[in-house]
Amino acid sequence: MFKKEGGDEIETIIGPSVQVEGNFVANGDIIVEGTISGSIRTEKNLRIGEKAKVFAQITAANALIAGEVQGNIKIKENLELTSTAKIFGDVKTKVLTVAAGACLQGKCATGEEKKAKLEKIEDFEKAEKQKSRLSLNNRLESDPIVERVK
Amino acid sequence: MYLYLYDSFLNNKKYSNLLAKIETRLTDLGIGGKIFRLSPLRNLNELLTDETRGGTKTVVVVGNDKTLGQVINIAAKLEVTLAMIPVGPDNKIAQVLGITTPEEACDVLAARIIEKIDLGRANNTYFLSNISIANGPVTIECENKYQVTPQLRDQISICNLRPLFAANWGQVNYFNPKDGFLEILIQPLAAGFWSMFKKTNLVKNSVIPIKKIAIKSKESISVTTDGQKILKTPVRIEIVPNKLKLIVGKTRMF
Repeated sequence: MFKKEGGDEIETIIGPSVQVEGNFVANGDIIVEGTISGSIRTEKNLRIGEKAKVFAQITAANALIAGEVQGNIKIKENLELTSTAKIFGDVKTKVLTVAAGACLQGKCATGEEKKAKLEKIEDFEKAEKQKSRLSLNNRLESDPIVERVK
Repeated sequence: MYLYLYDSFLNNKKYSNLLAKIETRLTDLGIGGKIFRLSPLRNLNELLTDETRGGTKTVVVVGNDKTLGQVINIAAKLEVTLAMIPVGPDNKIAQVLGITTPEEACDVLAARIIEKIDLGRANNTYFLSNISIANGPVTIECENKYQVTPQLRDQISICNLRPLFAANWGQVNYFNPKDGFLEILIQPLAAGFWSMFKKTNLVKNSVIPIKKIAIKSKESISVTTDGQKILKTPVRIEIVPNKLKLIVGKTRMF
């Protein structure tokens, strides 16, 4: 997910001595080693270090969490929790990897959202069938030939 | 047409040989021009304005970072291309621009690789390289969205050009004066005796790319632009993209 130190991908680093408050938005990758409260939003990758403390709602494409997070987490693709991770909040992601020892307290929803869409499609198809049956019945009832047969 | 601005410290005799060499080299390359020696009595603003009106397109600063810092504030408001010949001590900016020696600077000037780069603006003062903030309790309000609070002992600077100590970081995305961003660089100062020998670790530093910030503090704290002009908090800092045309060397760090 992240390139090694010295790579070209890393863009924002919140060091261990720094405290950030508010709606933190970044265009590139974020590495958090300090404290953040409020919200974190990035279209790319997020890494929360072992000693980091985050009291924020998180939205990112991919995330690797090794520290403490108090707040809801919404990840588009992959979320990885290492053995030192402590999450107190709801998690929503496509793919979740949890290492032994990680702490996760909150609701957890993984996988794609297609299932819900499929159910909707099935319901729609059922409704359509019912409609067509009803309309057939109505036609039959109003048909004079059927009435004569009766 | 070239205009050469010599800093006042170059009047010292020890520089006369070097200046003669530079002038000969410039004449050989066919890029000689008017020479002005700066002095406290000469108004640089008037001088540059008059000369650009007279047709000067390229202003060459002969001196150090301090000289360049003086000229940048005026050159940013004029339609000129700026170049530098580093002479004397404190020439860090020239290294970042890919110019290491005065002789090399003459060749760089002749090659004329022009880059349009961003400048930072602190209140109404332009800066090219960086802003450093004196130790003290400050809050940095970024993009009107979030606040960054460093610790008291942290060393804070707002960088446009790459600092020389970060030359080996290998982060091409950082400190690029053409990307439309300034970088807040927060370095925790090492505590204790042995920590003097520890290497600076990138992850311990904080680097935050920003476009607009405000530095606030309860008590007035000094903020230094390019190591020369001192402002007092609160200071508003923003990036001004593609503000300055600069002649740079091939080995520039951006």
